[in-house]
Amino acid sequence: MQYLEKIKESNYTNPGLAVLIALAFVPLFISDQYVLQLLISAMMFGTLAMAFDFTVGFINVVNFGFAAFWGIGGYTSALLAVNLGVSPWLGIFVGMAFSAFLGFLVGFLTLRLHGIFAAVMAWFTGLGLMSIVTNWTGLTRGPLGLMSPMFFATMDRGPYFYVILVMAAFSLLALLAIANSKIGLFFRAIGQDEDAAKASGVNPTWYRVLNFTVSTGIAGLIGGFYAHFMGILTPSVMQTSQTIEIMALAYVGGRGSIWGSLIAALIFIPVLTYLQPLMELRLIIYGLVLIGVMIFYPGGISALYRRVFQVSKSEG
Amino acid sequence: MISGQTLASLLVAAIVRAGLYTLSATGLSLIFGVMNVPNFAHGELYMIGAYIAVFTFSGLNLPPLVAILFAAVGGFIIGAAIEKSIFYPLRKRSERRKLWIMNTFLVTVGLSLLLKNLIQVIAGTKYRGIDHYWQGGLDLAGLSISVDRVVGVGIAIIVVIAFWLFLQKTTVGKAIRATAQDEVGAKVVGINLDNIHTLTFALSAMLASIAGASLLSLNPAYPTMGLMPLFSSWFVVILVGLGNIAAVPVGALIISLIETFAAYGFGSGWQRLFSLALIILILLFKPRGLFGSDVKGIWER
Repeated sequence: MQYLEKIKESNYTNPGLAVLIALAFVPLFISDQYVLQLLISAMMFGTLAMAFDFTVGFINVVNFGFAAFWGIGGYTSALLAVNLGVSPWLGIFVGMAFSAFLGFLVGFLTLRLHGIFAAVMAWFTGLGLMSIVTNWTGLTRGPLGLMSPMFFATMDRGPYFYVILVMAAFSLLALLAIANSKIGLFFRAIGQDEDAAKASGVNPTWYRVLNFTVSTGIAGLIGGFYAHFMGILTPSVMQTSQTIEIMALAYVGGRGSIWGSLIAALIFIPVLTYLQPLMELRLIIYGLVLIGVMIFYPGGISALYRRVFQVSKSEG
Repeated sequence: MISGQTLASLLVAAIVRAGLYTLSATGLSLIFGVMNVPNFAHGELYMIGAYIAVFTFSGLNLPPLVAILFAAVGGFIIGAAIEKSIFYPLRKRSERRKLWIMNTFLVTVGLSLLLKNLIQVIAGTKYRGIDHYWQGGLDLAGLSISVDRVVGVGIAIIVVIAFWLFLQKTTVGKAIRATAQDEVGAKVVGINLDNIHTLTFALSAMLASIAGASLLSLNPAYPTMGLMPLFSSWFVVILVGLGNIAAVPVGALIISLIETFAAYGFGSGWQRLFSLALIILILLFKPRGLFGSDVKGIWER
């Protein structure tokens, strides 16, 4: 157990929740739909990146097929609403459950694999799911796009803002609660050295699969939100480039922090969307930031925060 | 039942495809074997080759082989520049070798975004294709195949064999293989690792670039054209085992046979699902690929 003791991190305060609480007041002062839209988008990607970080930052597996689970959650909820008339409010949870179930299966697929092999396995499964959604045109209409009913009849962005805010806050609290519990400790142990973790009595099978299930479940939930927020779904949400965008946010935010991803999204999404007319330039910036962070500051925003505020990371 | 005629043309199509898959997958496997870099930007190196060829062939009106040669040299130079400016500093700075593979993977993802969009800024999103390098078709046992395809496969075979001989027979080739097998050992016998890494990346970029250039009449140049060759290269390399260069042609043939026949039987949309299903199954039971690999780099356990 000494090995586990060593990993144990002292809890440090994090600015994630404070920022979300502050955001809750934004619609009271700002009614500009464009600003709200930007913030919704940022919270959506921030939550996705938090769920992504929950896997990469803890059990050290890059789920490179992540966007597929986001898409599956959206498609499940949208198809239920379109074909069976299920309310979006119920559908998003069915989508979440189905996405989590697929994540559970992929967790098993990647079980014996490490590093790049696990990433590639998740990537290929994600591509496979995307291929099914694209080609099963009888069900999903493929690239033509699936119209999906909206959450609210109003065009006002305000209600959507609070829905995604609640989802983001729920995800942040749930993920942090798990991360700071004994389970989170086991995740870290597996991520750092699976053999040492096994020797300390941690069963990697169960924890790795659990981790995948939780992470993809959140992706599915956000997928449901996306479907009933945008009103249309195409298989392109499941593209590898979407995973890359989410992954970039998680890495820039700082792996293993959870909240760092949210902050990164709240900074980068508005700034980069503002540069939307310069589409290529925006992605060039993404590319440069990703390379720069990896070479010069692999700890990302959360490491910077810890350094600035001198929050001790470990006491042993 | 498939008629003999159809079967023959499907087989020819599969072989053409296999030749080009081999060309692009060899470079991917090589970089992983020597540098332990899982290159996500490999498709962009292929794209660079296509753009160089289109500008030298249609822009400067130079002969086809010269255009492909330009693409090869251009790919080599750009590859060397990328290695020196990105992977070299990363190698000097990375303390935890264990994280090297995943960190470089992320860096190549960034690199892929960067190259794709730089080209878009420079050349726009327009498709830049050519009708053909060489006019006409060949009659092969009742099948008509365009000369372009035949030459394309010919180039692929010649380049791959030449590259293999280079690795086996020359001192530099041996140094590359030694680095792949054991970095410390290679250093001990006096091999300059920095130069070998730069050379390896440059060669790999060159191979991808040649593939992009020789296929130009089939796939016009555009910024995101690298995605398909990236997928197929990764399929091949994972199927036979990352870093196992010798087995790449076998994997390329397997993948292209599956894809060609699946496309014929179920429509081209579904072809990818079949190769994916096969690779997922193989990864499940043989996590190191069909033939494994004897790469002893900085393996993650």
